[in-house]
Amino acid sequence: MITPAQAQKNVQESLSGFPPRITAAYLAFAESGDLASLDLVAMGVLQFYLARKPEKPLDEIPGSTRLVDDLGCDSLTMMDTVFLMETLFSIKLEDSELPKIITLDDLRALLRRLAGGGAAAS
Amino acid sequence: MSAPRAVVSGLGFVTSIGNDRASVAASLRDLRSGIESHEFIPGVDLPVKVAGTIKGFDTSAIHWAGWRWPEGCSFSREVLRGMPSHGLYALCAAEQAIGDARLTGAELTAEDTGLFCGSAGSPRLMRHYLNQLHDSHGERVSPMGVVSTIAGSLNFNLAAHFGIRGAVAGFVSACASTTQAIGYAFDEIRLGRQRRILVVGGEDLTLDSIYPFHGMRALSRNPDPARASRPFDRDRDGFVGTGGSVALVLEESESARARGAPMYAELAGWGQSGDGYNVANSDPKGRGLAAAMARALAAAGVSPGEIDYINAHATSTPAGDASEALALRSVFTLARAHPYVSSTKALTGHSLSCSGVMETAFCAIAIAQGFIPGAANLDNPDAACEGLNLPQKTVLSAPRVILKNSSGFGGSNVCLVLRRWAQ
Repeated sequence: MITPAQAQKNVQESLSGFPPRITAAYLAFAESGDLASLDLVAMGVLQFYLARKPEKPLDEIPGSTRLVDDLGCDSLTMMDTVFLMETLFSIKLEDSELPKIITLDDLRALLRRLAGGGAAAS
Repeated sequence: MSAPRAVVSGLGFVTSIGNDRASVAASLRDLRSGIESHEFIPGVDLPVKVAGTIKGFDTSAIHWAGWRWPEGCSFSREVLRGMPSHGLYALCAAEQAIGDARLTGAELTAEDTGLFCGSAGSPRLMRHYLNQLHDSHGERVSPMGVVSTIAGSLNFNLAAHFGIRGAVAGFVSACASTTQAIGYAFDEIRLGRQRRILVVGGEDLTLDSIYPFHGMRALSRNPDPARASRPFDRDRDGFVGTGGSVALVLEESESARARGAPMYAELAGWGQSGDGYNVANSDPKGRGLAAAMARALAAAGVSPGEIDYINAHATSTPAGDASEALALRSVFTLARAHPYVSSTKALTGHSLSCSGVMETAFCAIAIAQGFIPGAANLDNPDAACEGLNLPQKTVLSAPRVILKNSSGFGGSNVCLVLRRWAQ
């Protein structure tokens, strides 16, 4: 787990330009380990990097939505998303994990496993 | 058959004194400054406290997805993915210039439409990506880390975005870059190789792009935004940095006329020279710049007495302005010519690679709208300026012929002669 102090530093250095609700969710997760907040950060980071804005926030659309086929997520978006997740949560995503991320639920579950103490996605 | 003639047929602006032609023209005429108090590192009390800020944009986020821009730019955000922050400014400026010139998509992508750019790249983004590379021991390498940061970033991105199929090039002669780009664009048109060339300059306004000039004590430490940039003044102490972008369409005159495009001014000729003196300092006697001015006048077939106004390079540094003043005296005062002289950097700050195209665009506006911008903030002209005609207020008479000077590191001097269009 990252500490609240680390999280504050990461907000300054890496979340400039992000919507306040995503920044707040990140700080809330660092403070309490709240997994719903972690889910929201996962969606917020991916949405930030999508080349084309989705019609609705990603946390409001079905978890079965596919990153590539439905949202137009390409390798560049994926690289940006992974790099930031690694920075924000002090984790390492192996290259072999990436092809397994097909849907929004897959992304949430991966982040919960690596950063949320292994809890399963709700 | 006479050689093709080249006219300025489109203009676009994202500058400290306005983000469209009308507001830029009003700022120039009213001598309204775009310089404000500015913290290069938020919360840190640095000795340099002012900058020519770009209003209506927010590029403080490292990543393009966090940038904000004014309503009215029509590009999709996807195009920003390979761009530095000044690429965003350049897109907005280029869209304006293309619309102003009434260029169709087919004309923009024709084989005789080219693109010449000048920018220093994005030191800020480069630092970010290289830090990421080092900190991760080589594991994190952004796919866009090269094309969004190096000095050709503007031409890479704009050429791809607009589908340019004519000549594409970037110019890296520092503060003379885009003046030189306009000069070579002129040659391409005169030689019949290209019908039109979009010339675009752009620079970030960041700690990384501007503050390193403090290392050579080239930046003003005057904290007063209204007084810090004062070219040719006895009390000047350095330049004020700015960023932004300006785009200009230089076009073969018949093509512009047939399309009903504006004919702001004709580019009559240009000249360039090297100082052969020093990597960073101008020749103190201004010999290189004087040679470039003489070559430009000769190429345009214009005598010193025919020049109505000179838009000087003068950035407000003690050494550079004195050198230019001596160069001007050697070409004009000795020939008993007394054109008006001013540096509009007093209003805008110095936009480095972008300054040449920015100030050439100002000259085109001055010719088209019939006024000469005054020398703002000039209270006590430096002794080196003796005999120069430096108007402290805007002159409401229409210049017919204008000389535009630029100088860059290494002693590159480039001068353009613009004149009112006449058949």
